[in-house]
Amino acid sequence: MADPADTRDAPLIAPIERTGRGFYLTVGILLAFIVWGAVAYWTQFTEGLGVTGLHQPVSWGFYVTNFVFFIGISHAGTLISAILRLSKAEWRRPVVRMAEVITVMVLFIGAGQILVDLGRPDRMLNIIRHGRYQSPLLWDATSISAYLTASIVYLYIPMIPDIAILRDRVGKRKLLYTVLAMGWRGTVHQQRVLNRAIAIMAVLVIPIAVSVHTVVSFVFSMTLQPMWHSTIFGPYFVVGAIFSGIAALIVAMVAFRKAYGLQGYLKPIHFRYLGQLLLVMSLLWFYFTFAEYLTGYYGNEPEEMKVFQAKFTGPYWPFFWGMALTNFVIPVLCLVRLGRRTIGKVLLASLSVTVGMWLERFIIVVPTLSNPRLPFGEGIYAPTWVEWGELAGSLALFALFYVLFTKIFPVISIWEIREGRDVGLKEVEERLRTYLPDTPEAGVVPAARGH
Amino acid sequence: MARWGMVIDLDRCTGCQACVMACKAENNVPPVGAKEAARGRIISWMQVLTEEDDEHSGEVKRFLPRPCLHCDDPPCTKVCPVYATYRNPEGIVAQIYARCIGCRFCMAACPYNAKYFNWHRYQKDAPGQNPDVSLRPKGVVEKCTFCHHRLQRARERALGERREVDPAEYVTACAEACPARAIVFGDLSDPGSEVFRLARSPRAFRLLEELGTKPKVIYLSEGEGRG
Amino acid sequence: MANLRAAPDRTVRVIQWGMAGVAVVFIGGIITWIAHLIRTAWRLGDVPSASIGISLVAIPVFLTLLGVILYVFVGLLRDRGER
Repeated sequence: MADPADTRDAPLIAPIERTGRGFYLTVGILLAFIVWGAVAYWTQFTEGLGVTGLHQPVSWGFYVTNFVFFIGISHAGTLISAILRLSKAEWRRPVVRMAEVITVMVLFIGAGQILVDLGRPDRMLNIIRHGRYQSPLLWDATSISAYLTASIVYLYIPMIPDIAILRDRVGKRKLLYTVLAMGWRGTVHQQRVLNRAIAIMAVLVIPIAVSVHTVVSFVFSMTLQPMWHSTIFGPYFVVGAIFSGIAALIVAMVAFRKAYGLQGYLKPIHFRYLGQLLLVMSLLWFYFTFAEYLTGYYGNEPEEMKVFQAKFTGPYWPFFWGMALTNFVIPVLCLVRLGRRTIGKVLLASLSVTVGMWLERFIIVVPTLSNPRLPFGEGIYAPTWVEWGELAGSLALFALFYVLFTKIFPVISIWEIREGRDVGLKEVEERLRTYLPDTPEAGVVPAARGH
Repeated sequence: MARWGMVIDLDRCTGCQACVMACKAENNVPPVGAKEAARGRIISWMQVLTEEDDEHSGEVKRFLPRPCLHCDDPPCTKVCPVYATYRNPEGIVAQIYARCIGCRFCMAACPYNAKYFNWHRYQKDAPGQNPDVSLRPKGVVEKCTFCHHRLQRARERALGERREVDPAEYVTACAEACPARAIVFGDLSDPGSEVFRLARSPRAFRLLEELGTKPKVIYLSEGEGRG
Repeated sequence: MANLRAAPDRTVRVIQWGMAGVAVVFIGGIITWIAHLIRTAWRLGDVPSASIGISLVAIPVFLTLLGVILYVFVGLLRDRGER
C-alpha cells in the first residue's frame, strides 16, 4: 500500500533525512535549561529538600504542581487521537501522531516530578517492594503505568507503516527501521491486524486516561483538608487535563509547522477545529471552577473561607486572578471569532491556557496547605532557584525528547495522510449518503428498497 | 491490650513550654538553627499553639499544647504509600524512619500539622543525646511517638525482673516535665487510670472532632467563666 | 526486499521476537507486582480490599494491553514468513 516511489510527502520525511542549523541551535538552548535543572536537582539531592522554598505547613509546592500539570498535558494524545479516530473525523490525520508523541514524552516528565519531590529518592523502590494500595499514590503508580504502556503501544502501532516507508526510502538507521517495521509489507492481512489493534487501543486508552487524572485528583480529595476534600475533583481535573492537553498540542503543532515547513499539511482549518475544541474546554473549565468556588463561598465554612479568601484577596490573589484571565478571558476573546488570523489567535489562546493551567494547579496545591485548620500561623511559600530550575529543566527535557523524536520518526502520519487521499474521500461520501433520507442503508442491495 | 492516650487540662496550662523542651531533649529533636527556623522549618514534636482573642487582637486566649494526637482513625496512615507510618495494636501511631521515602503525603493529610520533615541533615552525633532514640536522617518525616522507647524500656525492665509493667512506669517526657501537671498520660482502656477518669470529665473535648479522626489526646476546656 | 541486505534477516527477526519477549516480561512483571502488593496487604491485614479491588480492574487492563501487543507482533511477523 505504501509505494516508496510516492514522493508527494517528501516534506514529512525531510526532517529525518536532513538536519539544519535550527535544530542544533534549538537543542543547544534546551540543553542549557536542562543543565540548569540538573544542577538544581543535584543541589537538592546532596543538601536535602531544604534548598527549596518548602516548609511546614506548605510541604508541597512546585514539584507537586508540576506533577499534576505535566500529567494533565498527557491527555492531549488521548482526546485528539482516540476520540477523533473513533468518531472517524477526517481532519485528525495530520494531528494524531503529534498528539500521541506528546502523551508518551510528557508522562515520563510527569512521573519524574514525583521522584524529584521525594525526600529519599534512593528509597523509591520502596513503593514497589512495600506499596500500600490504600494510598492514592499507589493508585497513581498503577494508573500511570497503565497509561504509559497503553500510550506507547498506541503510538507505536500506527507508526509501523510509516517506519516501513522509512525503511524503504531513507538511507540511514536501516537496522532500527527494519526491526521496528515488524516486517510490514502492507498486505491485506497485516492491514486488518493493524486496523483492529488500533481500534481496540482507541477504545481502551480513553478510560485509562480518564482514570489517570482522576486518581491524580484523588491525592488531594482523599485528604480532609479544606478546599481539597471536594467530590468535584475527579471530573474537574480530567476537564482541566484535556484543556491543557489541547493547548499544548496546538503550541507543538504551530512550532513544528514553522520549523519543518508543514504548511501544506497543518492548515488553518485544523487550527480552527482545535481552537473551537479549546473554546469549549475553556467554557467547561470555567463551569467547573465556578461551581467549586460558589459552593465553598455559599457554605461559608470558616476553614474553607480562610483558604478561599487567601486565593481571592489574600497573598495568592495574583495567581488566582491571573489564572482566571489566562484560562478564561483571553481564550474566549481569542477564540469566539476564528475568521481571520486563525492560527495567530489560536496560538495566543493556547499559550495563555498553558500558563493558566499551571497557575490553576498551583492555586489548588499551595493555598490550602498554607492555611491549616489549627492556629499554626499562615505559611507563605516562596520558591527558590532550585524549583524554578527544575521547572525549566523539565519543560526543556520534554521539548528535547519531542524534538529528537521528530528527527527519527515522521511527526505526521504519512500512511494516514495517504489513506485520506486514496480512501477517505470515498468513505466519507458513502457515509454522508447513508444519512440522507432517499438512499438505502449502507450494505443493503438497492433491489431491497421499498419493502 | 492497652490503649495509650493523654489528657491535657487547658485550665492548668500556663504556656511555659517545659513540655516542648523536655520532648526535644528526650527525643533528640535537632535544633534547626535560626536561618532555618525563620523559613518555617522548626521541628517541634510537642508544640504549644496559641489561640488569639478575636476581639482583642494580639491577646492570647488559650495555650494549646499539641503533640501528635495518635488518632484511632488516622488520616496520615491511610495515605502513606510504603507502611512508614501505621497504627500499632496499642493505639500508638508509629513512624518508621528507615522506610520513609519522604513523599510528605502524611504531612499534607494530617489536619493537626503534627508531622515534621527533615529538610536538611539536621541531626549530628553529639554528646548528651538520648541513646534510646534513633537519630533521623535527612529527607524523612518524624513526629511525637508518645515516648514509645520509654514503654519498651519499662517492658524490658519488667521482663528482667519477672513482673508486670506498673502503669506508672510509662510516662511521656512532656507529662513528666509539666510543672502545672496539666498533661496526664496513661492507658485509656484501664478503668482505674487517671486518663480514663479525666477523659469522661464534662470539660473534655477533642480537637477537630467533627473530622472523625478519633484522637486519643483529649483536652479539658477551661473552667466556668472562661472557654 | 533488496534493501534488507544491509541488515541480516535473522538478526532482525531475533530482535523483533525479543521485543515481544520484553513486552511479556514487562507486563508480566507489573502483574506480578500487583499480586505481591495484594499478598502483602493480606498478610498484614492492612485494608486488603483496596488491593483486591484495584487489581480486579488493573490486571485485566494490563492483560488486554499485552494481548493487543502480542496480537500485533504475531499478526505482522507471521504474515511475513508466508512469502
